[in-house]
Amino acid sequence: MAMASGSTSSTSTPRKRSKWDEEDPDDIAIRQQQQPSKRSVRTRSRGARQPSPVRSELHPATTGRPSHPLHSIYVPPRTHHPSIQPSRSVYCYERLNQIEEGSYGVVFRARDKETGDIVALKKLKLDEEKHGFPITALREINALMSCHHDNVVRIREVVVGDTLTQVFVVMDFIEHDLKTLLTLMPSPFLQSEIKTLMLQLLSAVAHCHSNWILHRDLKTSNLLMNNRGTIKVADFGLARRYGDPVGVGGLTQLVVTLWYRAPEILMGATTYSTAIDLWSVGCIFAELLLKEPLFQAKNEIELLSMIFKLLGPPTSSSWPNYSTLPLAKTITLPSPQPHQFRQRFHHMTIAGLDLLMSLLTYDPEQRISAEEAAHHPYFSESPLPKHPDLFSSFPSAAAGERRRKPFDSPSAPVRAADYKLLTEVDLP
Amino acid sequence: MPADLVPLASTSQIERTPSREDGIPPDLEEDLRAFGCKLIHEAGILLKQKQVAVATAQILFQRFWYTTSMKQFGIGVSPSLLFFYPTRTPQFITQDIGMGALYLASKLEECPLRMRNLINIYDLLLQRTSHALSPKTKDPFKYAPMSYFGNTFYDLKDALVVAEMQILKRLGFNVHVVLPYGTLINYLRVLGLTSRKDACARAWGFLNDALQTPVYALYAVPTIVSAAILLASRQLGISLPSAPSQCWWDLFDAPWEDVWSVCGYVMRLYRERAPEERMRVLRLVGKKDVRGWLEENAVGS
Ligand SMILES: Nc1ncnc2c1ncn2[C@@H]1O[C@H](COP(=O)(O)OP(=O)(O)O)[C@@H](O)[C@H]1O
Ligand SMILES: [Mg+2]
Repeated sequence: MAMASGSTSSTSTPRKRSKWDEEDPDDIAIRQQQQPSKRSVRTRSRGARQPSPVRSELHPATTGRPSHPLHSIYVPPRTHHPSIQPSRSVYCYERLNQIEEGSYGVVFRARDKETGDIVALKKLKLDEEKHGFPITALREINALMSCHHDNVVRIREVVVGDTLTQVFVVMDFIEHDLKTLLTLMPSPFLQSEIKTLMLQLLSAVAHCHSNWILHRDLKTSNLLMNNRGTIKVADFGLARRYGDPVGVGGLTQLVVTLWYRAPEILMGATTYSTAIDLWSVGCIFAELLLKEPLFQAKNEIELLSMIFKLLGPPTSSSWPNYSTLPLAKTITLPSPQPHQFRQRFHHMTIAGLDLLMSLLTYDPEQRISAEEAAHHPYFSESPLPKHPDLFSSFPSAAAGERRRKPFDSPSAPVRAADYKLLTEVDLP
Repeated sequence: MPADLVPLASTSQIERTPSREDGIPPDLEEDLRAFGCKLIHEAGILLKQKQVAVATAQILFQRFWYTTSMKQFGIGVSPSLLFFYPTRTPQFITQDIGMGALYLASKLEECPLRMRNLINIYDLLLQRTSHALSPKTKDPFKYAPMSYFGNTFYDLKDALVVAEMQILKRLGFNVHVVLPYGTLINYLRVLGLTSRKDACARAWGFLNDALQTPVYALYAVPTIVSAAILLASRQLGISLPSAPSQCWWDLFDAPWEDVWSVCGYVMRLYRERAPEERMRVLRLVGKKDVRGWLEENAVGS
């Protein structure tokens, strides 16, 4: 039984910082040797441990009826449920190298000391929280735990350090992120490759949406890609459940990194939904085609004018609700102009352009859903999507090589501010 | 992992709960769990909190005691707190898992609570418990609000933050909960019982009462919902198909032994208790046994 570990840390002060992320791995190794008994002995990784079914041991022989052996696919047997297990210690992992300091947490490459598996550890920033464990971090962990999908990065477990402020999300290590890859690649992805990547992305987004999760920060640096041509959506740091039945309170506008932000958010809408993720998908699609971000704007106004230029200014048919949006009155629309998609993406087929324009659509109501987009004719016309195995592999920057900063893209709004705003909005 | 796979206690965790390993008798553990859940429920009502958050809190609370002994953490209100009540000394304030569970669940359900409100409500419930124990029980209960200028409030606030974090850690941050209400409505529809308002209400009530038992940490929702329907239909004399090979619970993949076990847990909530047995729970979060607890725990060190 794994009940003994960790309980002693309840008495340690929450403010003390631990050393895991500041010390050398060598130091850690020494510390480990000095206190080997602190760690409880555990069986292998979490998923492997399955409880056996509890039959009537608590009510022995209440009936003689045999249990029904046939199970439908809808109700997995009790043995398929994970068991209740405390967090393991971060010292179960050996730190290898820091991958990147993101806007929110630090990401390390690390090795599972038991299995030798290479993983990514994301340290959550928890210091100076006035409201206990941040609701944003809870959403990130919950979203990852409830969105199991081939194209969503797999969360393995959440481990803790010496103090209450040290929490690490353990994920499968994925060699590349798409943003770095796009800058390091000598030539752009082929159409057939783009189709594969887009199908994977759309499938992940559709899956999240069907599990009531909005990602709210889709962009190329949050899309990881392994050497087998598979995309994994990562960074659910801004994710949030939508469609909660009662009183959710206002949604914050401080979401989505500027370049990928949907026009309804820019116009101050306080209610938005799955469509914001599909705008971002449209921006990513364009970025794959252009090999650089579509809207490299410095601020909201510049971004709006870039969008107006590419799509043509919104009209009463392309965006019927435009005038009701909070910021509509403060903006003077340019005179009507046709869209510029064809000029900007000259090598695209009609179907390809249609998909791009269906994603980059003003009216969130008319914007295509992830499910529909995945069945768009673009994907069944020649060239067909390339099998992921046929992708060439790239040297991984995350696995150790010095990484150069590609373009200095802005990041999503600082989450501390986001959290504050949320609690202010949510609370009476 | 499909969305409905919630963490459930393993066989060994059920057979030997951490508290039992520490020598706490099973029936006492059961009573203390139920009492903690009752406190969460009452606090939820006083705070006008959404039922989904309250139910989630109770389920997390029940799960917690499968990885942690009650010797280590207080149930609802910490024993040491009561012992030194009303002059609470900061170093004797220990974790308060019930309060922490409600705080955490409220965030999970996107209806966060203000710490101050939650702490005040638990303080009130605590005073009421200690009044029930005092020799002057006959006198009407009077609530004495806590001073905002003393240290008490800030100590409790720290304790709350620690409790929330402990719950997360001891549950491995897997705080996914599936509530049974939607499933109940589906099943009642399948069984053609939606017109029987009495049956619906009763089954719903059993689901809520079951929140005071560990069953949500032991069995999947279909089993628990089937148990609620079984209890309701038996009490109201409604007959449902139960001939061998076409039993209604098979429709929902609920193994009969498990359904029966859930019924047992729920029915035990209503069993007659001797007055002494009833007081024992209160007293354990209260004065008498605290010395023993403190010695064993070295609380707040
Ligand atoms: N599972 C992983 N495998 C490899 N690299 C990762 C992994 N998760 C994150 N990274 C790297 O770390 C960066 C930051 O991680 P992310 O989750 O996006 O955090 P942030 O919220 O700080 O943006 C990513 O852009 C990626 O380069
Ligand atoms: Mg990121």
